[in-house]
Amino acid sequence: MGQQSGAAAKPPQWKVVLVAAIVAGLIAVVAVAVQREFAANKPPSAAASFAAGIALSGYDVPALTAEEEAYAAALWPIHSEVKLAAVRMIFAGLNYKTENQDVKELKSKVLPLTKTFKDASTRVNRMRPPVSLQDAHDSYREALVLYTSATREMVKIAEDGKDEHLFLAQKRSEQASLAILKLSDLLWPGEYKPN
Amino acid sequence: MKNKLKRALVVAGLAAVAMLAAPVAQAQSYSVWVVESSRFMGVPYGAFMPDRVFVPGSTSKFNNINTVDLPVNVGVIKGMVNGKLEVVMADAGWKQQDYLKMTGSDHWHPLPETMKQLGISADQVTKIVVGHGHWDHAGALSDFPNAVLYIQKKELEGIEWAINYPHPRISATNVSPGGCARTPACGYPPKTLDEIYGKVLAGKAVIVDGEMEILPGIRIYPAHNAHTAGSQLLAVNTGTSVGTLVFGSDVYSSWQGIRDWMMANPQSSADTAQQFLAYEKCYKLTGRSDPNNCIAAHEPTSYTADYPIMKNNWVGANGARMAEISLASGESSKRK
Repeated sequence: MGQQSGAAAKPPQWKVVLVAAIVAGLIAVVAVAVQREFAANKPPSAAASFAAGIALSGYDVPALTAEEEAYAAALWPIHSEVKLAAVRMIFAGLNYKTENQDVKELKSKVLPLTKTFKDASTRVNRMRPPVSLQDAHDSYREALVLYTSATREMVKIAEDGKDEHLFLAQKRSEQASLAILKLSDLLWPGEYKPN
Repeated sequence: MKNKLKRALVVAGLAAVAMLAAPVAQAQSYSVWVVESSRFMGVPYGAFMPDRVFVPGSTSKFNNINTVDLPVNVGVIKGMVNGKLEVVMADAGWKQQDYLKMTGSDHWHPLPETMKQLGISADQVTKIVVGHGHWDHAGALSDFPNAVLYIQKKELEGIEWAINYPHPRISATNVSPGGCARTPACGYPPKTLDEIYGKVLAGKAVIVDGEMEILPGIRIYPAHNAHTAGSQLLAVNTGTSVGTLVFGSDVYSSWQGIRDWMMANPQSSADTAQQFLAYEKCYKLTGRSDPNNCIAAHEPTSYTADYPIMKNNWVGANGARMAEISLASGESSKRK
């Protein structure tokens, strides 16, 4: 009897295990739900958005990580030179078309820019981007290849005088300009102001 | 003899009537709308107009507004000229979505889609007059493949001067991440200049040197250094009761600026005196004592009754705001 009463007061071992398992299961479910909830509300990282080609609105610009910041800081001086060289290349073509049609002058203005873009390529190729910015980094490298190729195409007009080279070069330049714009939007969202 | 004289007088009278009537019959009229390309959100008022800087607690109407939303307005002018449809745009907005984050922009709508609601397709646009070459005014040129671009020679020279200036703080297209400090070449990203260059290469650009009439009653006036080196105004004699309109682009970014004689949208490429002279030019060209026919590119009260010229406004099917300003004879209202 005494043994029986003792058994009634203390639940059998398997029941304890069962209750513990149910509680552990519930805790796991809650943990997963909480984790998912937070993940859903977190804005996509800047790099992930770039890779997915998503345009984010002006209000949810995600902060860069420390690694990404360091990459952006290292790229900035190169980027500044690249932009300036791109504008100078465009003006070499503009002046040729609107002012003088002087191929020698065009060539003398464009050739140094080939070097600028190539040097920029070398410097960018040496950089080791964080994994999250690999796509953006690759896109920037491609843009530099396009700019370099645009300068080489432009100077071909000195050989045969055909405007076709300028058209081809302009297309490449425009493609590159869009690519660097996308990257600068990712790394330096305040680069261009309303004006 | 008397009969002959009578007949001659009648013929002469009829000829005189015909001569007088001819110009009336041929009087050129234009329909005009303004549409919104996008909107810069939450811009500190003082950054846009220094005299309107926000002073917490101020009861002055000039200093009690903290931030404003600035539209990017584009003019659309339509008319039949010698039997040919002409569609002229005053500025071309921008289309690069990637600028969105950079500028805190919202309400961006592709201009070709917006203009369809006015019954105009992108390939019907014949001319684009950019007030200047900044990205938010010359950023969608390639969306209008048949349009001829009109840009001032001085504008191109001004950019070239800046990018070739020996001091890097002046030649920079941007001096630091996060801000261009309004250097003279700031505001002209390579992408926008590629669009301008594309028009030149395609033989669809007119490099304007000063003043030029581009269509009967539509004339470009230089406003150099009023915002950028080669800024220009576009005056449109609508030939309707509205009279003459003058599109200022950023020469007068703010209509309230003209009204109150306050500078707006300061640039290091601009000269306040030139901006004020451009304000005066608008009063003169419109022949009015008020600035109501001066169309500003970023006036915060655009598409509201507070900006009287835009009182007839609505929100288009794609969400873009628009205003109907003038209807040429035979043109029906596009307001739904």
